[in-house]
Amino acid sequence: MTPDPISLMPLVYDELRRIAAGYIRRERPGQTLQATALVNEAFVRLAAEKARPFANRTHFVAIAALSMRQILVQRARARKAAKRGGAPQRVTLDEGLMAGEAPSIDVLALDEALTRLADLDPEMARIVELRYFGGLTVEETAEAVGSSPATVKRHWAMARAWLKRAMDLESEEAADRRP
Amino acid sequence: MNREQWERLKTLFVGALDQPAETRDEWVARHAAGDEMLAREAAALLLAHETAQGFLDTPPTIDPSDFATLEEPARGARVGSYEIEYEIGRGGMGIVYCARDVRLGRRVALKALPPIHDTDAGRRERLRREARAAATISHPAVATVYALEEIDGRLFIASEFIEGHTLRSEIEDGPIEPARALSIAIDIARALCAAHDAGIVHRDLKPENVLITSGGAVKVVDFGIAHVDSSRTRLTRPGDAVGTPAYMAPEQLIGGESDARVDIYALGVVLTEMIRGHHPLAPVRVAAPAPARASDIARRCIETDPNDRYQTARELLEALERELRNPRDAVATPPPDGAATGLSRWWWEFHQAVVSAVYAVMVWPTWMARNVIGGPRGNAVFVAVLAAAIVAVTLRLHLWFTSRFYPAELGWARTRAARWVRGSDALFATALVIAGGLVGDAHPALAVLEIAVGIAAASAFALVEPATTRAAFGPSDRL
Repeated sequence: MTPDPISLMPLVYDELRRIAAGYIRRERPGQTLQATALVNEAFVRLAAEKARPFANRTHFVAIAALSMRQILVQRARARKAAKRGGAPQRVTLDEGLMAGEAPSIDVLALDEALTRLADLDPEMARIVELRYFGGLTVEETAEAVGSSPATVKRHWAMARAWLKRAMDLESEEAADRRP
Repeated sequence: MNREQWERLKTLFVGALDQPAETRDEWVARHAAGDEMLAREAAALLLAHETAQGFLDTPPTIDPSDFATLEEPARGARVGSYEIEYEIGRGGMGIVYCARDVRLGRRVALKALPPIHDTDAGRRERLRREARAAATISHPAVATVYALEEIDGRLFIASEFIEGHTLRSEIEDGPIEPARALSIAIDIARALCAAHDAGIVHRDLKPENVLITSGGAVKVVDFGIAHVDSSRTRLTRPGDAVGTPAYMAPEQLIGGESDARVDIYALGVVLTEMIRGHHPLAPVRVAAPAPARASDIARRCIETDPNDRYQTARELLEALERELRNPRDAVATPPPDGAATGLSRWWWEFHQAVVSAVYAVMVWPTWMARNVIGGPRGNAVFVAVLAAAIVAVTLRLHLWFTSRFYPAELGWARTRAARWVRGSDALFATALVIAGGLVGDAHPALAVLEIAVGIAAASAFALVEPATTRAAFGPSDRL
């Protein structure tokens, strides 16, 4: 029997925090990590423990993805609060391009859109969470949600299109509201 | 978009994906079955699909130091203009800290969501609602909300800091004296009046959410799931039951339509708990004599059909106030035929006095038995008898005294003492018999005395005392 995911969240969360603290001690400050790499590292560590409460990697990532989403949203909200009163708050595409990375995504907007998608189609939102925040492959995601890889692939495509559109519409509206 | 439309959109989009890119729009138009809106929506999604290539393909990045912002504030930490002093308590709905507002130099209670849940939109909205609900009510028996703050992305409610204890801890000490229970219930009812007048239903009233300050004032706290009547949007979907089951009215438990009368139900449960020392639905081990009319009031509050309860908090408040002013027939178990004030009550008092004397006297032979037995076993039986004797004598003399001089209080005094009296009786009788057995042939007379008194005590509390009690307090009394 697999334990209730919510009850395992604090455990996963603490592990993620411990790893992050290790990075801060060892590396220079200001460097960033891929969230999914952090999730993987947490799994490797917890899997080495004797009494590991997880059935398998997929089960673990399913929980960690939720934690990761919450952490990223929390961080984005804190940044936004710090910047309040200053320049436009949404992270722009240019910032990401200048840093030579992939276009950065407005985590708060994504979170909002994902919450709305979950109202329409909880499974589709779950697929996005597992793939984007947890770094699962299509096959692993299929195993986690209990459907076929082909279906996951199609639903992932639709979820991505829906989210893109929802976020674009939202940012256009936000731009219109700005004087 | 409803569920059915969404499913059709899904079928349409997924079907179109299998077509060559250039024929997709045409395919959608053909398969939308004349549904204009659906076709438009699918076409827009397909367009977004083209531009969404690469979107969400790169995993999000995170700065490890960001985790620091998620730490729970420790003692002495500054959160905005508040300095955390200590954690008062925590539950699923939040953590409450005692903090100092350094701007105003006063103490506040700071309530936050656990960091792990602080991103949950639903919980954040609930916390906001709690602040708004409690801030709408201005009443001395409702903890005052000072501010709703968002500090570094985390939400906090700063409210009046209340120094005192919960009603729960008071109930755990045993039933509360009727007049005091009534006056606490009156204060809670006043708070409910103020809340209901403001259109707010508490929905989670329970002894844990009633604080009693060191000055004796009553404060109702935790409007965490309060429901604002005028609001059409509900955070709990119909069918969701939110609250603490033991205090939830039947209509609230099944998740149906519920209104302010659920608070009246909860107050009925709380009142019963105060006067009887246990929940009205708990299996009754002792039939506690409760003040008759206070019980009647409580019983009416917990009627299954909301229409049979007091309809408003004000109506309930008036009933409670009448009862406090005019506590006629205060004890629920009036003597069945007036006998209790006469001879049978005298016999009951006599029984208490004699038993106390025997208990006290038996300490001496048991001391001798201890010396005969020797070693740790001797000490153990002596300590057991001494402890039982001290508890039993103290309580019985207290009951005897109450019966003589404060007969109106006897009911709740007996309810409070019952468990301890029985426990010490059982311990006393058992320890004496064991002492007698251990003494044995070493000192036959002492052994016989110990065993005989032990058996006598056991039969007294099993047979004689119930008889004198029944005679004094009526046939239904089982204390």
